[in-house]
Parts: sequence; structure tokens; C-alpha cells
Amino acid sequence: MNAAEVVKSLLVQRFGIPSAHLNAETPLRSLRLDSLALEELRVLLEEQLDIDLEEVSLTPRNTVGQLVAAVDGVAA
Amino acid sequence: MTARRTPFHAAVTGLGLVTAAGVGTKATWHAVTEDPVPRGVRYQEELADLPCDFFYTIDDLDTAAVLGVATQRMMDRFSQLAVIAAREAMADAGLDAGTWDAGRVAVVIGSAHGGLPFYDQQHVAMAARGARRVSPKLAPLTVINSAASSICMDIGAQGPSLGVATACSSGTVALGTAHQLLRTGACDIAIAGGAESALSRLLVASACQMKATSTRRDNPSAACRPFDAERDGFVIGEGAGLLVMERPEHASARGATVRARVSGYGASNDAFSAVAPDPDGHGIEQALRLAMADADVEAGDVGHVSAHGTSTVVNDLIEATMLRRVLGDHPLVTSTKAMTGHTLGAAGGIEAALTVLALERQLVPPTANLEVPDPRIPIEIVRGEARPGTFDCAVKTSLGFGGHNAALVLTRG
Repeated sequence: MNAAEVVKSLLVQRFGIPSAHLNAETPLRSLRLDSLALEELRVLLEEQLDIDLEEVSLTPRNTVGQLVAAVDGVAA
Repeated sequence: MTARRTPFHAAVTGLGLVTAAGVGTKATWHAVTEDPVPRGVRYQEELADLPCDFFYTIDDLDTAAVLGVATQRMMDRFSQLAVIAAREAMADAGLDAGTWDAGRVAVVIGSAHGGLPFYDQQHVAMAARGARRVSPKLAPLTVINSAASSICMDIGAQGPSLGVATACSSGTVALGTAHQLLRTGACDIAIAGGAESALSRLLVASACQMKATSTRRDNPSAACRPFDAERDGFVIGEGAGLLVMERPEHASARGATVRARVSGYGASNDAFSAVAPDPDGHGIEQALRLAMADADVEAGDVGHVSAHGTSTVVNDLIEATMLRRVLGDHPLVTSTKAMTGHTLGAAGGIEAALTVLALERQLVPPTANLEVPDPRIPIEIVRGEARPGTFDCAVKTSLGFGGHNAALVLTRG
């Protein structure tokens, strides 16, 4: 799985977001992902992809596409 | 000095139960009154090689399917069970969150260990993989009050809310606290009881070291045997049991069916030991006498006792001796723990809900696994099969580590 697939699979399986809602332009907060949820996601992504996201800013204002791009940038 | 007051009869209008005996009030009642042996107790991989490696768990419950992943992820299992029980109790009471005055709805939920399993898992994550692998959800998921706050969020209750922690009497103390909140007029509706799910290797290992749990590994379904001569300790279980309680005029104004009433509450502390109950049972006696005085009932009025009856050698003897001293030998006494396990902080909530059903049906569940009554126990315990009776008043007793005693008086609706 590439980074984008891991992000999407975690959002579906661990956060209960329907995959149909995962459009690149959708803001994370409209998926009910608050700052705590994003910190939880950060831990899960670091563990699963063996990467360091410490310097990556994740906020509910970001879109799904921005989240995937940020993770991809570190994972690449 | 005892301040005598006019009794306050809180109306019980709804019940919710999720236990190892069954998912839902109907299934649990059917199991505790009809099934000869418990079915929810078995070996657990989590407890491998411990002297007590078995536990009462809830089968046939897919919490993710009931609650949804998005809701479930902010709850450890004890809170999930509490929310599922609360939804059943609300529906049973005919309450609609869209029409009530949310600020007048209280939620009071007891639990002994709260989110201990999540705490345990995260400690393992930190020890094995470092601080950067620890979940940010530790505090919100593990605090005792998170069952109460999860229910508030789920149903939109905005009145007073709190967790109650008095070890194994937490559920009973939560109901007593709700009785007091209703009585003072702090709320019109209270959703109260207990919730617990502490399938934790750490906790059970320690309980084994304490020699408090049964070691009947060859036959777990016979291990919890309250008041039996061969009892050798309790067996932990998970579950939740909640009541919807209302101020009587609130229940009657909306035409709710009153299933029973919580008519008295008493609590005390032994001030004796961190674990052992007062050997003479003075503390639980005081709680029971206070509850009876609060409800203005006499020993002769009490027709049924839902005992704490944990299946430890000491508890059952002290409790039964106290019951004989305070009530005499006429009430129909039972312990349902052989069917549900000892659900610790949930026990009082589950057993009070079963007491409501006993009052309604005029039927007392048997004490499963009680084959040879301990000859030192000075009262007759209902066993073999459910016993019909005629009673308008019942009591529920609970004792907790730390010397926390509590008793409720329940009366027919």
C-alpha cells in the first residue's frame, strides 16, 4: 500500500469515515476529524509507515488531499 | 442523630442491561431465571496461565455495528456497554431526546476500574515502542467518568453528570446518588447505574495474588457459587446495568409506566480495612438500616433481597449473617453473580435492574451453582429454580473494597 492508501484505509477502518466521503477537496473537520483525531492519526501513520511526522502540521482545516500530500511528502 | 424525612419514591421507568447472561433486559432476565448454568464464562487468552484464567464476557454483541466506528473510537469498552444499556433504558422508558428539557437530565454511572484495559494497552505500547507510540486518548478514555460523559454525548443529556467510584458498590452508590439528585430537585430525570469491562491481565493477575478469585480452572461455569460450601472466590465479569429514574410527578405528567420505585438509600464506610469487610458486618448493617429508615420500611416489609453474594468465603458469610440479624429469615434472598460474574462497579446497577424485574414479576431468580449451602450461613437462599413470591418491597446490598457499603430499598410501582 502506498501512503495515500494507508491514510484512506485508516480513516475508513479506525475513524469510521465512509470511503465515498474521502474526496481530495473535503476539509477534515467536515468529516468530524478534530485535532485529537488528527493526533491519533499521526501516531497510527508513524507506526504503520515507519515515518516521522513530527514536523508535519495537521489541522482540521486541511483537506483530505492536503493530508495525503503531506504524508506522501514524508514517506517518499 | 438521624434526620427523619418523608420518603422520596423515585419512579423507575426504564431498564437497560448488557451482561454475560444476555444482551438486553429480556435476554438477561430470561437467563437468570431459566438457565441452570451460566454460559458466558470461559477461558481467556489474555489470562493464560494465571490461577484464575477465566472471565464472564458478553457474547453476541458487535459494538462497532451497534455504535459505529466513529462513535466507538472515543470510548473504552466499559463506556460502550454503558451507552448501549442507556439506549435500551431510554427506549424502554419511552423517552425521546428531542422532546425533553436536556438540562434537567442527569447521568450518574459507577465503575470501579473505568478504562483500565486501554490504560494497560498504552502502557505496553510505551514500554515496547516508546513515548511517541502512545495514543493521545488515554485521559478521555480511561477516566471513571467517561461512561457518564459518553452517555451524555450520545443522548444529549445536559444536566448534572458524574462518575461514581466506590469499587464494587459503585453501581449501587450511583443509583443512590441519582435518588438524592432527584429528591433535591437538581434534575427531573436521572439515567444511572454501573458499567465495567476490566478484562485486564494486570488486574486479574493482582486479584489472583490477593487470593480473591476462584481457581476452579477445570470448571469455570461452576466456579462462582455464592453461599455454597465449596465456594472459593469471585469470578470477574463485564457488563452494564442502568435505570431511568424520574421525579414521580415528572413520570406521571408524561404518563410513563412506573415499573418500580427507588424508595430509600443508605451508605456507610467500615473505616476498617482496604480490602476486608468489617468481620461483624456493622458497616453494611448501617447502610441497610439507613436505607430502610429512608424508605420508612420495617424488616417485616422486606420480601426479597438481591444480595452482594460474591462467592468469596468471607463476604457471603458476613453478609448473610448481617441479613439474618437485620431482616430475619423470611425474605427470599438471592445472588445473581453466578450468571453475570462479578461485574465490580457495574454489579449494583445490573442487580438493581434485576430487582425491579423481580418486583414486577413477583419472581426471585435462583442462585445458580448453589448446590450445598454453607451450613454456617443462617438464612435460606433461593436455589434450584426461580421462586414466586408476594412482596412489595425489596432491598439491594453492595459492599466495595475500601469499606464502601451501600443499600437501596425498591418498592413496587
